[in-house]
Amino acid sequence: MGNAALRDIAAIEEIPFEDVEGVVAVDAHNWLYRYLTTTVKWTDSSKYTTADGTEVANLVGIVQGLPKFFEHDITPVMVFDGGPSDLKDDEIESRREQRRSYEEQLETAREEGDAVAIAQLESRTQRLTPTIQETSRDLLRLLDVPIVEAPAEGEAQAAHMVKRGDADYVGSEDYDALLFGAPLTLRQLTSKGDPELMDLEATLAQHDLTLEQLIDAAILIGTDFNEGVSGIGPKTAISAITEHGDLWSALEARGDHVEHGDRVRQLFRDPDVTDDYEFESTIDPDLEGAKTYVTDEWGVDAGEVERGFERIEESVTQTGLDRWT
Amino acid sequence: MFKAIVSAETLTSALDSVSVLVDECKIHLEEDGLEIRAVDPANVGMVDLSLDAAAFESYEADGGLIGVDLSRLEDIAGMADSGQLIQLELDEETRKLHIQIDGLEYTLALIDPDSIRQEPDIPDLDLPAEVVLEGNDVNRSVTAADMVSDHIALGVDETEEYFYVDAEGDTDDVHLELTQDDLIDLQIGPAHSLFSLDYLKDMNKAIPKDTEVTLDLGEEFPVKIYFGFGEGQGQVTYMLAPRIQSD
Repeated sequence: MGNAALRDIAAIEEIPFEDVEGVVAVDAHNWLYRYLTTTVKWTDSSKYTTADGTEVANLVGIVQGLPKFFEHDITPVMVFDGGPSDLKDDEIESRREQRRSYEEQLETAREEGDAVAIAQLESRTQRLTPTIQETSRDLLRLLDVPIVEAPAEGEAQAAHMVKRGDADYVGSEDYDALLFGAPLTLRQLTSKGDPELMDLEATLAQHDLTLEQLIDAAILIGTDFNEGVSGIGPKTAISAITEHGDLWSALEARGDHVEHGDRVRQLFRDPDVTDDYEFESTIDPDLEGAKTYVTDEWGVDAGEVERGFERIEESVTQTGLDRWT
Repeated sequence: MFKAIVSAETLTSALDSVSVLVDECKIHLEEDGLEIRAVDPANVGMVDLSLDAAAFESYEADGGLIGVDLSRLEDIAGMADSGQLIQLELDEETRKLHIQIDGLEYTLALIDPDSIRQEPDIPDLDLPAEVVLEGNDVNRSVTAADMVSDHIALGVDETEEYFYVDAEGDTDDVHLELTQDDLIDLQIGPAHSLFSLDYLKDMNKAIPKDTEVTLDLGEEFPVKIYFGFGEGQGQVTYMLAPRIQSD
């Protein structure tokens, strides 16, 4: 889930929702996971469990989470972690296979004690069940919310899309978005109130670092993919990188070591991303279809999603005056 | 520099017409009068208000800008009896507004204008139909529609030449037709748009019942609603974005 210590380094400020405009490339796993946790925590599980015991709390989460974007005229693009690039029905099987292959790789990585690979693969296999993966995509498609399949880390792909100018912000709670070079990241999209804006350029300027140096400092502190050096916090990491220039010199000076430092660094500097995606930013949801899917097909208690659907309907039917300016 | 004396009615009308949309606003203290422009947080309803210097008993200003908490200022203005005068004076040093009503002195802390949401650009609309009617007819239409629905359709029948109001509820419907004879004026043009009653109800509260109100309408376009107040020295223009019609 990223390293919260990065918060002390990042240039973050709360901004009013009204000032947010355009397209947000949302780290879908990160976003869904937040709503899953809340739904599971606060809702009686019978409301989202099918007769055969399958839990689809994700469907409740999606219906509750999307209105926030629509009500502020923001287009969310859901960027999913590693999977096939296009999700037609006949490809679901290939996604299952991909998952199996990830699981096998994960097993191998565990046997070999490859910490980087374990961390990478765990995030892709364990966080969301296959049913959640599939039903989330189905529901998002019915609601006409664009989906992008990342070749690997969704967050890296989202950052890539913002860098290319196809989206305006990355949407993620994860501070790692900075390390993937996301120019602007919106946090707290899943919480009440206004979001936080995390600004890469301002962060670098504040510490007089390059992005490469910021990555190195983060590796010293610890990331999703490495443990970090014990005893090094944000302040020490930055002064060490500033003083010694880069990760290796800083480690050498301290006589410390980071396992697979080069690979972690490469993962942030040159992540596996694709230019092969397209989406439309106008959203025209099939609300009836979505309701039927959630309540009839998956048997979710209608009361749990009623308000969310109402909010979605209201926000897509009411236009804003900015359309005429 | 800003110093003015104004009747309680005029000030209250001006504030009420803005506070139906926003809680805080910027007020431009121009040499020839006050100007306020604001849009609600969802960017659906906008108000553009001007109050000419002539509407005041006395008025002196040189182009300053202040930010106010509208409900505060309304509460203070509400302390005045009808017909009483309210004196306003800006203290540039402390950024406070001194308000005097008879012997009552109230010092109002102003809000930093930069902390208030940006003033909206005014949409450039070329609306084909124009309906001029009494505020009372707007009130009747909105009140009746609100009994059955959350939205209201406003339009002009080009062949039969009348202005109509439609509201469809789950069980009950409301329909109102106003012909040339019922209206003060009607310019026929293609017009039919659906609006949220939540907004229209609030705007309606600020429309004087005995005033001439003009509605400019188009097809799936915002409606422009404008009327005068303060003995014709004040002008309020509302713009309200339409809802997309599903059928």
